Amino acid sequence: MPTWYDTLFYCVFLAQIVLISFYYPEKLRRRILGLLETYPPAEYPRLYPKPVEVYRRRIQVFRIVTLGIFALGIVLLVALATVIDHKSFAADGFISEAWPAGYAMIQILPFVLLEVTEASQLKLMRQAKAAHRRRAALRPRRLLELVSPVRLSLAALLFVGAIVFDLAVHGFDFSLGHDTMQRAVTLAVTNLFFVAVGAYLLRGRKPDPYQSPDDREHLIGVALRSQVFASMAISVFFILLAAGDALAMPYLDATLNSLYFQAIVFLSIGHILRSVQLDDLDFEVYRSEPAGT
Amino acid sequence: MDIVIDIEDSVPLFTQLIEQVKQAVLTDEIGAGDPLPSIRQLANDLGVNKKTVAKAYRLLERDSVIVTRGYRGTFIHPDAKANCTVDLASLAESKLGEAVASLRQAGVTDSEIRIAFGTVLSHRTEPGA
Repeated sequence: MPTWYDTLFYCVFLAQIVLISFYYPEKLRRRILGLLETYPPAEYPRLYPKPVEVYRRRIQVFRIVTLGIFALGIVLLVALATVIDHKSFAADGFISEAWPAGYAMIQILPFVLLEVTEASQLKLMRQAKAAHRRRAALRPRRLLELVSPVRLSLAALLFVGAIVFDLAVHGFDFSLGHDTMQRAVTLAVTNLFFVAVGAYLLRGRKPDPYQSPDDREHLIGVALRSQVFASMAISVFFILLAAGDALAMPYLDATLNSLYFQAIVFLSIGHILRSVQLDDLDFEVYRSEPAGT
Repeated sequence: MDIVIDIEDSVPLFTQLIEQVKQAVLTDEIGAGDPLPSIRQLANDLGVNKKTVAKAYRLLERDSVIVTRGYRGTFIHPDAKANCTVDLASLAESKLGEAVASLRQAGVTDSEIRIAFGTVLSHRTEPGA
């Protein structure tokens, strides 16, 4: 008979499987198929540096891979509930947090591959660009105009708060081998990564050569806000981990891990899907270029 | 307000940038005190060399159309609208025209004027001259 916390974990883990390997991939797939239908290559050739069959095939592969990972998740869930001996994976006998974390890594892979594919697609678009005319907004892009200062301050406060709280819970142990310092370093490196990506988004090269200045600003804003949310989620997760240590609740670690990965995906991929609607973007820039321009 | 450049146009890119900023000021699309993008941002957005944008900004600053305020960024000059109408290129042409006319009147030949002009210009631009 499973305990209440094991039952809670199975429910949360099922939600992780469905959300990351079924719900969002399906939403993403429909979005791309909708784009192919609404903005066909015949009318918007600049959007498709490769034949449209290539994109359809890639979407099919994406679907097969995500459904495969979904099936793997269901098998893993059943195995965790029935055959796996948790004592052989964790000394305390509770479900190890490595299960939801390891599975989440596999779940994220198709999205990473999609991101790589998008980068190569944009590269091809830049290479194919024969337009002589280039457009840019004559106004600066400023971080605080794209992200609310309140959210940004909250993210910074949570970052500092998470480190201080973790240190306080563990008696301000600054030894490098301790979990607290490792978590602090992880948090700092992750936030530095967000800062670097944010700076590149604001000041870096234009990835899509045809994109209108307004769309670019809108998408940069969405990406920056998504990073701020993700930073907050990571800090909150670390605070919860420290609180779990303080209250001696190791039986909730696996559940917290699973919730953490769901929050990250909800605030990154989910936020982008919610904030970017195809109808709001200017697709006229992808139509064929009139002669002489 | 968007800026559009044509990389195949015979007009140099920095001149296109200067003309469009001045045009935007004259048509009130941007006004005194409005911020401009950084050199890096504009160069990256247009896919041109940073030196091209820097040159345009330098010349616009020389003409008092824009003003750079250190780390705060670049802004439209308070008197930009009036300064946009000042054409330093035509001023140089008119002053040189007057000088050439008076030299010809004194009997100096065109080739002597050309040599003298080259010498004066190279003296001004030679380091330490």
